[in-house]
Amino acid sequence: MSSTPQATSAPSWWSKFLQGRGVRKFKRDKMAIGSLVVILVYLLCALAVGLNVLEKEDAFARVGPGWTPGFGGTQNGEKRLQDAEFRIEQIERAAAATQAEDALKALNFGALVPFSNDPEVVSARVAEAWAIFNATVEYDDLEEDPAAAKLLLDLESKVEELYTQPTGLSSLVHSLRMSLGTDLQGRSIMFRALYSTKVAVQIGIISALFSVLLGTLLGAAAGYFGGWVDHLVIWLYSTFSSIPWIVLLMVLASAFRGGPFDGTLIPVYAAFCMSFWISPCRVIRGEVMKLKELEYVQAASAMGFGKIQILLKHIIPNTAHLMFINFSLLFVGAIKAEVILSFLGLGVKGQPSWGVMISQAKAEVLNGFFWQIGAATFFMVILVLAFNILSDALQDAFDPKHV
Amino acid sequence: MSSSTDILQVKDLEMHFPVRGGILNRVQSKVHALNGVSFSLKKGEVLGVVGESGCGKSTLGKCLIRLHSPTAGSILFEGEELTGLSHGELMPYRKRIQMIFQDPYSSLNPRMTVRQALREVALFHQVPTPFGMNAYIEELVQRVGLRVDAVDKFPHEFSGGQRQRIGIARALACNPDVLVADEPVSALDVSIQAQVLNLLMDLKDEFGLTLVFVSHDLKVIEHFCDRVLVMYLGNVVEELSCDDLHKNAAHPYTKALLGANPINDPDDRRPLIVLQGDVPSPFVLPPGCAFAGRCPVAEAKCHTDRPRLERKSVDHPVSCWLVD
Repeated sequence: MSSTPQATSAPSWWSKFLQGRGVRKFKRDKMAIGSLVVILVYLLCALAVGLNVLEKEDAFARVGPGWTPGFGGTQNGEKRLQDAEFRIEQIERAAAATQAEDALKALNFGALVPFSNDPEVVSARVAEAWAIFNATVEYDDLEEDPAAAKLLLDLESKVEELYTQPTGLSSLVHSLRMSLGTDLQGRSIMFRALYSTKVAVQIGIISALFSVLLGTLLGAAAGYFGGWVDHLVIWLYSTFSSIPWIVLLMVLASAFRGGPFDGTLIPVYAAFCMSFWISPCRVIRGEVMKLKELEYVQAASAMGFGKIQILLKHIIPNTAHLMFINFSLLFVGAIKAEVILSFLGLGVKGQPSWGVMISQAKAEVLNGFFWQIGAATFFMVILVLAFNILSDALQDAFDPKHV
Repeated sequence: MSSSTDILQVKDLEMHFPVRGGILNRVQSKVHALNGVSFSLKKGEVLGVVGESGCGKSTLGKCLIRLHSPTAGSILFEGEELTGLSHGELMPYRKRIQMIFQDPYSSLNPRMTVRQALREVALFHQVPTPFGMNAYIEELVQRVGLRVDAVDKFPHEFSGGQRQRIGIARALACNPDVLVADEPVSALDVSIQAQVLNLLMDLKDEFGLTLVFVSHDLKVIEHFCDRVLVMYLGNVVEELSCDDLHKNAAHPYTKALLGANPINDPDDRRPLIVLQGDVPSPFVLPPGCAFAGRCPVAEAKCHTDRPRLERKSVDHPVSCWLVD
């Protein structure tokens, strides 16, 4: 008997799922659809970073003077002067480099290129720019004095002429890069925040996945086999849960310091998994204890199925909803915990993350520069909020008792 | 009691559940669920097991399919001892004794389609399927009165009666000889009850099944069974043919049960026996007859000496001091 007529007569589980009541209810919820889109954008962004569309160098490159505000915000004269100085220096360095590759590296503006390939021409124009710069520096008050203001404008137009103005895609990339300004070291806040999306999603997915797997495994074993297995698991999680999780995270993170995994994300994953497995374990143990008394499980053991087979086929699949709920809770939990851990200097190292950004912004905030902390917080809050809305909506849509 | 046609013989079956507690998790007391149940079952027979809640009917059914390991006594299946067998040794008997469960809403795995559930059983017990697995499953589904397109549906897409039919199909998927039905219709509507009972009757003839039918509903038992086992607090108090149920019921408890059952004939009036008091605690059994405390005709002896199940006439064992 061929299976083709079967396949056509019975709709696949996927199309059944799409026509189901839960999906229909979910589609009516506009907030939920919105949050789903937001989450997808984050995931795409993380994927793009993972595929090296945005490289780690982009997050570390110096792209302008320190503390440039975002959205082309109004700047005082002093800042404008600094900006011009930075740009002339960059071009000068590029022109001084003998090799074309070195020139690009020195420039490191990505999309921005000097107006000419001839070093002679460039250095002549640079000298002119320096002359105006030196004249401008003489003035104390750059904004009130009309002469100084005029000089500053001259200087800026001169600096503009040093570059080939970016067009098309590269101009778009450039404005994106500068859109949220720069941090103290002159690195693009936007690119750092985008790169951090990947770090956050990576930490969220891996920690939540392994915590849920570990918790499910131990919880299901404890609930199903009972006896000493149950006692052991209960003892384990009561011991772990009696330690405040932040302390546990700090201890584990510092225990990994200097080890072979220092500088990677592995200490963070390990710390999160060891403290996050408790809540799925507890919930799933209870659910399994309930499920194993149900008649279909008794029917399976009357059939003669082995315990492991019953556990894998009849019990664990029926805890899937709890695994999903716990995954989404822990995903958000891990992202927030990463921020706290990195803020304390125990988390992510060697790459940007929202926590690292917030930690670095400490000094900036005191000086009234809020772009970095604002960007990192905004990116995190939107993701966490979208996830919370989505998991609420999913629960409402797929809970059979909810009308 | 035994003869060559007996497919199942149960002798002095005891099932005591330990209750653990305290710091050292020691056994504190025992629930005496079954206290020496004996009966035998001929091939093709339908045996009803009746009694009030907590009398051990379901425990008996679960002991027969070895969901519980009995504390003492023996279960002989075609002369082979089943008690004390290990998981592996029991395997050949698993597919010959199957069970239908009470609650159709919890007896099916919500994540498995009918096809998956039936295929799992047929594959596991290597049931011969001469026309292929799909044909086997579809035939089985039709045999229990469902449409062929039911095979790819999930349990939540069915009504209670339909689910019970799927439960029956699952039990039949491994081609059993003995079917233990644990209150298979008590969770269903009256109209559906009749359908499922008739289906069971048809299947019994078709598959040559022997049935143990656990129920608390005397009407269903009368309709369906050849013989009936009346249980009280883990003991069999009377075993009699269903035809004799109204005429020859001898034990006071059986009489009380029959009296509590309404009859749809206004002229057929009989004295209503209202039992006083409660069932004794299964933790501490009374020294005498378990029913003595509630028995309207109990004598002094009933409270001190435990009666045995003795044959009062041909094929009619009763456990009572006062019945000759």
